[in-house]
Amino acid sequence: MNAVAVHGVGTSHFGRVPGTDLVTLAWNAVSEALADAGPEPVDAVWVGTVFAPAGVAQRVLRAMGITRVPVVTVENACASGTTAFAEACEAVRSGRYGRVLALGLEQMSTAFDGAITPENTDPEGATGLALPALYAMAATRYLHDGAVTPAQLAAVSVKNHAHALHNPRAQYSGRYTVDEVLASRMIADPLTLLQCCPTSDGAAAAVVGPATGGPREVGVRGVALRSGAPWGRRSPHVWGYDIVHETAADALAAAGLHAATDVDVVEVHDAFTIGEIVTTEALGLVAPGEGGKAAETGVTALGGAHPVNPSGGLLSRGHPLGATGLAQLAEIVWQLRGEAGGRQVEGARIGLVETMGGGVSALDGNACVVAVLEAP
Amino acid sequence: MTVVDPRPRVVVAPDGAPHVAGVRCQACAEPVAYPWPACPECGGPVVAAEFGPDGVVWSATVVRIPVAGRTPPYTLAYVDLDDGPRVLAHVDGDSAPAVGTRVRLLAGAPDPHVEVIG
Repeated sequence: MNAVAVHGVGTSHFGRVPGTDLVTLAWNAVSEALADAGPEPVDAVWVGTVFAPAGVAQRVLRAMGITRVPVVTVENACASGTTAFAEACEAVRSGRYGRVLALGLEQMSTAFDGAITPENTDPEGATGLALPALYAMAATRYLHDGAVTPAQLAAVSVKNHAHALHNPRAQYSGRYTVDEVLASRMIADPLTLLQCCPTSDGAAAAVVGPATGGPREVGVRGVALRSGAPWGRRSPHVWGYDIVHETAADALAAAGLHAATDVDVVEVHDAFTIGEIVTTEALGLVAPGEGGKAAETGVTALGGAHPVNPSGGLLSRGHPLGATGLAQLAEIVWQLRGEAGGRQVEGARIGLVETMGGGVSALDGNACVVAVLEAP
Repeated sequence: MTVVDPRPRVVVAPDGAPHVAGVRCQACAEPVAYPWPACPECGGPVVAAEFGPDGVVWSATVVRIPVAGRTPPYTLAYVDLDDGPRVLAHVDGDSAPAVGTRVRLLAGAPDPHVEVIG
């Protein structure tokens, strides 16, 4: 088995650009990743996307001369990009391929007018449960249980929008107050507009290969991928907790770490504010019921004990579904190389990426990927 | 094109009360709100079962944005049917019932629909 490293990463800018095609977005990400990794060709490509049309992978790759190699498209909801990364890593680890490109891409602005509604051949979609409402259910329950306050929910949005002030690729950024976040338009009680990720277009890519000890290679210490178990009254947790907790345990064990608190910097799936709070608890970064307080008191801010989403996260950097996981990965690679500029977590040696995608009724998420990475 | 309605099927039992017609696992007793061929929890064999009409609100929200085929605002709740599965249901009104509120299934609506019974 080969030790695996990330040799290069790249992303497009993230934003709402219906007039820019996926070829351009993908080229922006892939050309940067290939330049970062060096000139050797890639032996195979895994592409993650959710709503792009059939054939999109070959369509964008032919435009940059990547042909005659195995190309595999994967769909795992919001974890599609990190699923492509997980499969690329395994292909290198097992020796199946040498250098592999993982690409995530999505154009949400031409697919949806507003919130995503789950597939309407599934009960939740047919009953009108837009995705913000699914997360709102978790937030309502947390508020009822005294596990979070409205101000603590809003603090996640304040923090991540402020982090993005230092990320030139982010879709949004800004200095908001808790009151401003809470006063923004209600989307699904208790989640307000500024607690919801935007509609985003973008692409992100990583070149993965055998570890050679190069000065800019970021080591892949452990990767795990799971689908969700049935979610219902058997679980004592809100939707999306158990799948993250179990996938993280797999990834931390693969990485030889005892706990998420051994990690210096984290990018998590904050599609909605409550998502970051539940995830930081599920990862074990903070104790159960402490996620909201951690955001409010700066524990999860840049400069805090456990910085979360220095890029601005999905809330502020943006959330082009298939690209998101690889955008998170790119951020952690830059952090571990010390290349993250004004949002750098000083001295970061170990980083973690968590992506969770859902929407299938009665399951605790369609897929979760957790990856643990190590500085050169 | 005929599309199979995936929502939980509400039937009126001989006692006159509406019930969700689903299945229960013969191996692990998991209640399931849908006529699936095997247990989603363990893969075990299932038999037809009916659940409700009463239950308790696990959580709820009011959707205030446009969603295809719906007029906002509308209220949704996850309801744990007594000795039954957790189902997503509509609730009348534009304020969410509190967690723990007792509710009862209503018959005749295309969506699973509950009323507060105090």
